[in-house]
Amino acid sequence: MSISDISTSIGNINLSNPFILASGILDENGYTMKRILSEGASAAVTKSIGMEERNGYKPPIVAIDDPIFINAVGLPNPGILNVGEEIKTARESGKPVIGSIFGKDENEFIELAGKMEEYGVSAVELNLSCPHVKGFGSEIGGDPNLVRKIVKGVKGAISKPVWSKLSPNVTNLLDIANAASDSDALVLINTVRGMKIDIYSKKPVLSNKVGGLSGSSIKPVGIRSVYEVKSNMDIPVIGVGGIESGFDAVEYIMAGATAVQIGTAVWKYGRAVFSKVTNELLEFMGSEGYGKIEEFRGIALK
Amino acid sequence: MINSVRILRNEINTPTVNSLYFHWDVRVEPGQFVMTWVPGLSEIPMSLSLTGKEKCLTVKKYGDTSNALSNVKPGERIFFRGPYGKPFSKVRGKTLLVGGGSGMASLRPLIDQDASGVVAARSSDELLFKGLFPIDKIIVATDDGSEGIKGNIVDALREIELEKYEMIYVCGPERMIKSVVDFVAGRNINMELSLERNMKCGVGICDSCSIDGFQLCTDGPTFGLSTVLTMKEFGRTKLAESGKRIWFQ
Repeated sequence: MSISDISTSIGNINLSNPFILASGILDENGYTMKRILSEGASAAVTKSIGMEERNGYKPPIVAIDDPIFINAVGLPNPGILNVGEEIKTARESGKPVIGSIFGKDENEFIELAGKMEEYGVSAVELNLSCPHVKGFGSEIGGDPNLVRKIVKGVKGAISKPVWSKLSPNVTNLLDIANAASDSDALVLINTVRGMKIDIYSKKPVLSNKVGGLSGSSIKPVGIRSVYEVKSNMDIPVIGVGGIESGFDAVEYIMAGATAVQIGTAVWKYGRAVFSKVTNELLEFMGSEGYGKIEEFRGIALK
Repeated sequence: MINSVRILRNEINTPTVNSLYFHWDVRVEPGQFVMTWVPGLSEIPMSLSLTGKEKCLTVKKYGDTSNALSNVKPGERIFFRGPYGKPFSKVRGKTLLVGGGSGMASLRPLIDQDASGVVAARSSDELLFKGLFPIDKIIVATDDGSEGIKGNIVDALREIELEKYEMIYVCGPERMIKSVVDFVAGRNINMELSLERNMKCGVGICDSCSIDGFQLCTDGPTFGLSTVLTMKEFGRTKLAESGKRIWFQ
């Protein structure tokens, strides 16, 4: 029996497998990204980078009660001018590095994207969906007019592909997805707003009180979001949310995803999660007789 | 999940270090740590300084959170999650425990009849847990010469035939550990080192404590000497709270 081909491509970006490291997880230090890429991730998205250096929130930045995982890290980042060396180190892996950026308006996004292009990223991911920082992320990503302006502006300013990461914390996802339709791909979904209270200290656990729920708890929301967008729009979608196994990835691909991102599963399985999901995907394709991912991409939409 | 236990007693060890004793019916290995939360303030990583039926957290006062923790009274609750991290390896035979500053806290569970100690601090009153070793099995160094050898931890190690130990366990600030690693590089000795870096999540996802792509919180905090010798960032550079790269002085 021959081994299935699990490569995929998003526009002109070719990936050796569909598993990308999601933004926010192990992607602040260039050496870490380089190690994860050498251990099986096909690409890595950097932590979201803004104009100025930010420390993020005080710990606790995570509230964990397996399988519940909520975070409010607070967009810590060294500022766009200090991130070039980390990206350079990560790119020594030879694999695509995608630069995630967040800003408060169109002009900031354009400036950040231009810098990322200079640093040699393969694409820019617009964080239009961080659920827990005031003035950024989903406060912007919930406004279709602002989303349209930012995406158009960045698309007009750089030649690299632009991905838009959208929030599930909106009334109508399709309105926002349509507003972002100039993007080269949509990344669905960011975390779902959530909270955890410790009943003995009688206090919210996260220092920011509210955070973003991720992991297996949100997989059905992610699957529904990808399915809904792919049912209505012709645009590449990258699925994110609760992927812990190759079989979870198959579900996203059957909903129409071109590739997927993995974040929280690193908490459960460590960096080795990337080789685990790759083996499981190969196992599924072998047992079901698929030679290529295209053979079942979007198959559930039909 | 957050554990909450009431402490049994709060012991003063040095002017800046206290130990909180409590019962917690969970298996913990020497070298592992918990993320200790002071509601309303912050959360900090702390090694367990006793890992048997009675557990202990040894607190060095250096900020709001550790100060509050060191003031917890018997009967009051502390909050933490874990245990996390890779423990020290167990060996049979003679061991040497090398602790700088409050580093002896995480080595304390390894003290037994086969263990000798090297304790170093700035001055005599900051020497931690030196009294737990028999008098003929302890070497002390102080920067100001107020007790033992006048000098640093490497000056103390010069006095010892390191090759005769089955394992040497080291814990302390990164700069101190770097000096130990430089001192022993190339020699045929078994050594494990417990490293310290800024830590936020404790569970291997936030990248704050990473060193050469290893996460201190999940791949460490204990590492074998051969791994540490391959680390380009060790003792040279790390990331600040924001993720900005900074260099050791």
